Amino acid sequence: MMANNILLETESLSKHWGGIKALDDISLQFHDRQLHGVVGPNGAGKSTLLNMLCGTLKPTSGCILHQGERIEGMKPWKFVRRGIGRSFQKTNIYTDVTCLENCAVATQRRFAGSFNLFASRHANKPVRDAAEKALHQVGLADRMNTIAAEISYGEQRQLELAMVLATDPCILLLDEPMAGMGHEESLRIIELLNELKKTYSIVLVEHDMDAIFELSDQLTVLDNGTHLITGTVDEVRNEPRVKEAYLGKDDDEEAA
Amino acid sequence: MIFEKRTERIFLAIFFLIALCIPLFLEDNSFFVGKITTILILAVFVMSLDFLVGRVGLVTLGHALFYGLGGYLFVIITPEYEAVNFWIYAVYVMGISALIALVIGAVVLRTSGIYFIMITLAISQMAYYFFFDSLAFGGGDGLFIFMKPETSIFGLSFLNLDNPTHFYYLALLAVLITLLVIKIILRSRFGRIIEASRLNPERTEALGYNIFAFRLISYIIGSTLAAYAGLLFALQYGYVNPQFMTWEMSGTALVMSILGGLGTIYGAILGTITYEGLQYLFEHMSEDWMLFMGGAIILMVLLLRKGLAGYLEKLLEK
Amino acid sequence: MSTELFFVQLINGLQYGLLLFLIASGLTLVFGVMGILNLAHGSMYMVGAYLAWYFVAITGSFTAAAILSAVVALGLGILIERVLIQRLYNRNHLDQVLLTIGMIFVFNSLQSILWGNDPYGVAVPEALSGSVPFTDNSSYPVYRIFAALICIAIAAALYFVVSKTRLGMLIRAGESNREMVEALGVNIKSLYTIVFAIGVMLAAISGIIAAPMRSIVPGMGESVLITCFVVVVIGGMGSIKGAFVGALLVGIVSTFAAVLMPTMSNMIIYIFMILVLLVKPQGLFAK
Repeated sequence: MMANNILLETESLSKHWGGIKALDDISLQFHDRQLHGVVGPNGAGKSTLLNMLCGTLKPTSGCILHQGERIEGMKPWKFVRRGIGRSFQKTNIYTDVTCLENCAVATQRRFAGSFNLFASRHANKPVRDAAEKALHQVGLADRMNTIAAEISYGEQRQLELAMVLATDPCILLLDEPMAGMGHEESLRIIELLNELKKTYSIVLVEHDMDAIFELSDQLTVLDNGTHLITGTVDEVRNEPRVKEAYLGKDDDEEAA
Repeated sequence: MIFEKRTERIFLAIFFLIALCIPLFLEDNSFFVGKITTILILAVFVMSLDFLVGRVGLVTLGHALFYGLGGYLFVIITPEYEAVNFWIYAVYVMGISALIALVIGAVVLRTSGIYFIMITLAISQMAYYFFFDSLAFGGGDGLFIFMKPETSIFGLSFLNLDNPTHFYYLALLAVLITLLVIKIILRSRFGRIIEASRLNPERTEALGYNIFAFRLISYIIGSTLAAYAGLLFALQYGYVNPQFMTWEMSGTALVMSILGGLGTIYGAILGTITYEGLQYLFEHMSEDWMLFMGGAIILMVLLLRKGLAGYLEKLLEK
Repeated sequence: MSTELFFVQLINGLQYGLLLFLIASGLTLVFGVMGILNLAHGSMYMVGAYLAWYFVAITGSFTAAAILSAVVALGLGILIERVLIQRLYNRNHLDQVLLTIGMIFVFNSLQSILWGNDPYGVAVPEALSGSVPFTDNSSYPVYRIFAALICIAIAAALYFVVSKTRLGMLIRAGESNREMVEALGVNIKSLYTIVFAIGVMLAAISGIIAAPMRSIVPGMGESVLITCFVVVVIGGMGSIKGAFVGALLVGIVSTFAAVLMPTMSNMIIYIFMILVLLVKPQGLFAK
């Protein structure tokens, strides 16, 4: 299981807001073709971690290594160019244009000069093909020419994912891709993620515990900004500290 | 087809048809030809602003800076008593303006939203006072153009800038070229990213685009077009002064662009004509034309949600 | 520069800054609470000055004129908000900008129709007409000290209202969360009307206070408007505290610039603002 290459790594990564430690001394390794789940109660620092991994938040200290190179000081768009793609917790798409155009914005960077002031945006087959492929991947092919605002919420979540895939990443940083989804839709996403982790390295932040237990090869538990444990799903399940800090509470809530 | 909307095509067809013929009917009335020439030049300026505000999402209140700069740069770089070639010097003026826009853009684009509005306003006010307080550039009186440039290309000369009708067609050509340039850019791959950055900057950055670079290039394009308009205006009247760069000038252009229908580009032409037309009408009706003008602006904001172009589209589309 | 001149300029700067604060406070309050950039704010300052002149001419008393003018301005603010601004809350900011530009035209025109285009002056009230000796050979007009004190009093009152009262609590909440204010059972419409009217009144009061110190001329509103923008941007849009600090800084900087480098004095506050924004892109007291 551990034989895969390390693609992305953090070393003593910390983020402090004034005196508050949103995230403290986190060292993690993310492997190629594995799904790395990140869980923790609200305020544990999951989103903070994800935002630093994709470059939108600058860490207070510590570093992020991508294929052995330090990248934490780079601009977010450079992260994407290195193959680190992210999805947003709150659906973040171009609502006024078609689903295809949404993905075409993402694929254009790979195939065509985006500083070309004259060539028509519509006259590039690779851009269009790649955008279509991304929509196919997430099962939105039949919505290609629909305005993004008009598709259902679940479909918008799928589009969100398609846009990340369209950037041709190696590492997917997914922020609660199943948030607000119905059961059926969630199952479809789980199936999709199971498929995707064969080719991509995925970091998944998710509240749906069943989903994350099913999907994760590695699981990290954060609590109150600190790193509790990283291990396989079974290791994490049997760790008493985790039960205490997180799962126990969660069970109580469910029982209540 | 770069003109996607039916309304747009109909309006532009009618506009250019009428505009081409106007001098034929007004041959002996050079005042009117001159007046309409000014409106056309303003339309170029307003289109360049509409591109920045409505399409790139950069709400600037300092656009007139480049309008004035177009005139000032021309007078500063040309020898005083020599008729230079218009086309060559227009390229010089636009080139220098582009460089200045690069520097200013690199500074102002660090801010966003309301702060962007304010910092563009501040920089244009700075430039205004720079020229106003400077003895070298004529202070409040500005500078005069003593020799109109000649316009030959490869030794052939079609246009005489002293002839109002010729100048009129030069301005109309500027409207056409500006319109085409902006529409082609908007349809281009660059335009796709510009559109994306306006609709959702956060997402666009997360897709790997350096938004700053796209905005900076757009800012340079918009500013350079404005400088060209300013150059034409200065040539038409034979002078340039700090009044070209006031914030009122920027504000008026913004009013024209919103009235016309923000971001529609052709609406900028419509807005400019309407505004100037109303002003002319009210000035002749009453000494207190500003009261009517203000009232008309307020009414149009309240009644037309998407400007005149939006209203036309409601009538003509589908 | 001698120490004496330095102190005179410093006091001039502070006094100018305090007046600027008073004008800018209404602008930043309305922007902070309602998100509206009122370009006609300068016109309200002009209206205040003209009203003061008009009522002094009628009543002969500066105090009576000041009170009358402030009341008229408050009514005007309510009227404008109810008739015009209220229709634009769910429209984009540019529509609001356009509307307020339209209002500038209307107010400038009304000023010219009602009061003509000649410059006017208001005499300093009798009781405040003297000077206080400053050093052996310089003195400072009582009215300017009085004006500065009034500005400080209003600043303190604003601070008290915003930070200590229920209205202030609603104002602070309204800035960040419209729905929450609604949930408290407060009619947000009335709150906005009150805030806008107070904003207009603050501008007008500044005009009234400035009337005996400056000449009352057409266009006085626009020139002060841009300076106010500089003030609120330096302080951070929407922040009253920021407007206070920004106003004092701008007042002092421009006063000293006029003495030390007269050829650049007009440019200096803009350069100052750009420098501030380069270091703090959201102003000094950004939220």
